Amino acid sequence: MVEKLGNLPAEASLDGLTVLAIRDYSLNYNTTSGPFEALKSINLEINRGQTLGLVGESGSGKTSLAWAIMRYLPDNASEVSGSISLLGENLRGKSHQEILEIRGRRISMVFQDPSTSLNPVIRLGDQIAEVLVRHRGLTPKQALTEGEALLATTGITKPAEMMDRYPHQASGGEKQRVVIATAFACNPELIIFDEPTTALDIITARQILDLFDRLREETQVTALYISHDLGLVSRIADDVAVIRRGLVVEEEPCDRVFSAPQHQYTRDLIAAVPHPNRRIASPAPEESASDLLNMTGVSVRYGETSILTRIFQPDRELTYGACDVSLNVRLRELLGVVGESGSGKSTIAKVLAGLQDFDGSLRFNERVFATRKSINTDYRRAVQIVFQNPDASLNPRQKIREILSRPLKLYKIVPRSEIPQRIRDLLSKVLLPEEFADRYPHQLSGGEKQRVAIARAFAAEPELVICDEITSSLDVSVQASVAKLLVDLQRDTGTTCIFITHDLNLIRQLAHRIAVMYRGSLVDLFETNEAENAERHSYTRALLDAVPVPAGTESSPSA
Amino acid sequence: MSDFVRHPAGVAGAILLTIIALAVLFGPLVAPYDPQAFHTTVRLQGPSADHWLGTDQFGRDLLSRLLFGARSTIAFGVGATMISVIAGSLIGVTAGVVGGWIDSVIMRGLDGMLAVPDLLFVLLIVTMLGAGTGEAMLAVSIAFTPGMARISRSSVLSIRTREYVLAAVARGESQRYIILSEVIPNAIGPIIVEGTIRVSFAIMIGATLGFLGMGAQPPSTEWGLMVSEARQFMYRSPWVVAVPGLAIAVAAMGFNLFGDALRDAFDPRRSR
Repeated sequence: MVEKLGNLPAEASLDGLTVLAIRDYSLNYNTTSGPFEALKSINLEINRGQTLGLVGESGSGKTSLAWAIMRYLPDNASEVSGSISLLGENLRGKSHQEILEIRGRRISMVFQDPSTSLNPVIRLGDQIAEVLVRHRGLTPKQALTEGEALLATTGITKPAEMMDRYPHQASGGEKQRVVIATAFACNPELIIFDEPTTALDIITARQILDLFDRLREETQVTALYISHDLGLVSRIADDVAVIRRGLVVEEEPCDRVFSAPQHQYTRDLIAAVPHPNRRIASPAPEESASDLLNMTGVSVRYGETSILTRIFQPDRELTYGACDVSLNVRLRELLGVVGESGSGKSTIAKVLAGLQDFDGSLRFNERVFATRKSINTDYRRAVQIVFQNPDASLNPRQKIREILSRPLKLYKIVPRSEIPQRIRDLLSKVLLPEEFADRYPHQLSGGEKQRVAIARAFAAEPELVICDEITSSLDVSVQASVAKLLVDLQRDTGTTCIFITHDLNLIRQLAHRIAVMYRGSLVDLFETNEAENAERHSYTRALLDAVPVPAGTESSPSA
Repeated sequence: MSDFVRHPAGVAGAILLTIIALAVLFGPLVAPYDPQAFHTTVRLQGPSADHWLGTDQFGRDLLSRLLFGARSTIAFGVGATMISVIAGSLIGVTAGVVGGWIDSVIMRGLDGMLAVPDLLFVLLIVTMLGAGTGEAMLAVSIAFTPGMARISRSSVLSIRTREYVLAAVARGESQRYIILSEVIPNAIGPIIVEGTIRVSFAIMIGATLGFLGMGAQPPSTEWGLMVSEARQFMYRSPWVVAVPGLAIAVAAMGFNLFGDALRDAFDPRRSR
């Protein structure tokens, strides 16, 4: 089966263009319920020095394709047809030995989460050197010197120091730079980037993207960039391929995809990319609207120490989840809270939901609560929370009917006999069919589950709903519809909302005011239409710069 | 459950358990002889048309003894495990839900008990309580309780931080509702699985106790005791030891395979 294809690479490099060619490639996974078609006759080409952006939602097969190119497929995968060629050599015909020579040297890969793709017990320097020793035949000493030089090109300020560190001693951004340096180490012909910025904070992600841009310019590398984020891909790719359920529905030069999308699915995706100019917020409350909620000097300390620790480590420092946060929420307003992971935005949500002990005080509807213990059932009914991940926030052993009936019974919202009717109403309010009442959460999709979670929150007829990153575990297209649903519900019921997110473009579509948090403190608070004003806090500016409005998705000329 | 049927180990376990269950339910009805009847002319015989599995040193029919013994042997394993599951999960759930220093005290105590090997621990308790089936069963259940408590506690702890539990807390649900309706139904899976697997250990420990003369007493037909009584004759007729020994192995394996399959069926990553 394996032949010597000695003259082929030379021949291929004569026309010099197509680095990766995938022809009519189909892949099935054998599951207990029969074969699942993960990829359906994929045709893709990437020319030398070009970047192809592969965009799709979760489950679309984009990661399967990456692993198929790397020739690392699970046991239950069966390749039905087609070829994957690197410079004219069909990788499918290669022996395991030959593939080992290709991986890392001719094709390398950058993964989503640098904290799991680096080995925690090996120094970062040794992890880079390993590749150089293995594929470029350097001595360990040469490899370490070379590795240091590589790290320097990725913008790490003290590369020698970084080489000596273990992964847990580096930040997420630094680790991703190390992974990228490793991927570029052998000047590979193709680099696959699998969502390299998704696990990173907004500002770090932006820096990594800039690094990617620069390295591509310098090395003329060919790249396959996989992402779920069409807006992001639009900034870095030459061509864009849109994949849906294993089928490439559209492949075009980047600007064409945005200016003249051919396929309806692409159009839907583009329309779903959040854009600050497309406001979908409910009408703003009047300036004179009174405050529903006032937080005064709210602080949360984590790592409260036990007696023993206090004796043995008297000067141990406490970490603050939130530090002296004072914030007001106006009646009928949608307040956005933005910040990176660890900025304390979820801590604030937990305080408001009565799940977290705190210092300071909350004033809600003229009543003051100074401790978590003093929060009573009336408050808990009036303040509802919707969590980030609907897989985790719905009890897997309860049917939707039971989940929705719980707040109705607990707060005696309606008499017992009217509960079935109310459940039907709630489901229709969140645009779900009433048969869903008899299903279990795992029989629903992610977006449907989040609708149920929203329905449960609104079942209590609350005055304030806290939405803690409710769209971030959802696909872009679903995210847009869930956000729309929330705003509609808010308008119909007159509920006040706090919407916590890291997505600035999304929150600028929804919110009336935006609060920005950084390392546990509230650093900025402004009306949404003043987001671009000059007097914004420098951190707000940095956040705004990190997520520029996606190119080509403007519905109206940008201001 | 359709996954469960496709699981070959699960099917094998289910078949073995069905055989055992039939023996427990109908054994005494279908046994060809009185298990205590001596047939002095046919002592230590191999299988024959009259005695399908042969006879022991007193000429008692091994098949009949086996069928009568199934009840006490299985009852011992299941009973001991059930007591330990109930006691263990009560302790574990309490520790997991209450938390704080009570949790620490309970768990350190249990850790101390866990440090003693099961069999040694059981022997210790039986020595204190005296020999006998009931005492042996109690001893096994006491020895198993720390392990069950640990498993139920960790199960409860992992459920307690789930968002649906937080959601219930945020709604202001009572502690009682949260534990009974949100925590326990989701924590019960691993406890049941562990219990099923432990039945096989309990049977084996019970057999060991019988063998050592500290469990069931002659002329009981308990399988471990059968092995023990026959061991001096095993060179003249291996059947007397092999038959009850094999029966113990089948029962233990049945529970073990079934428990393994149950664990896979409960594991959400494996189902669907």
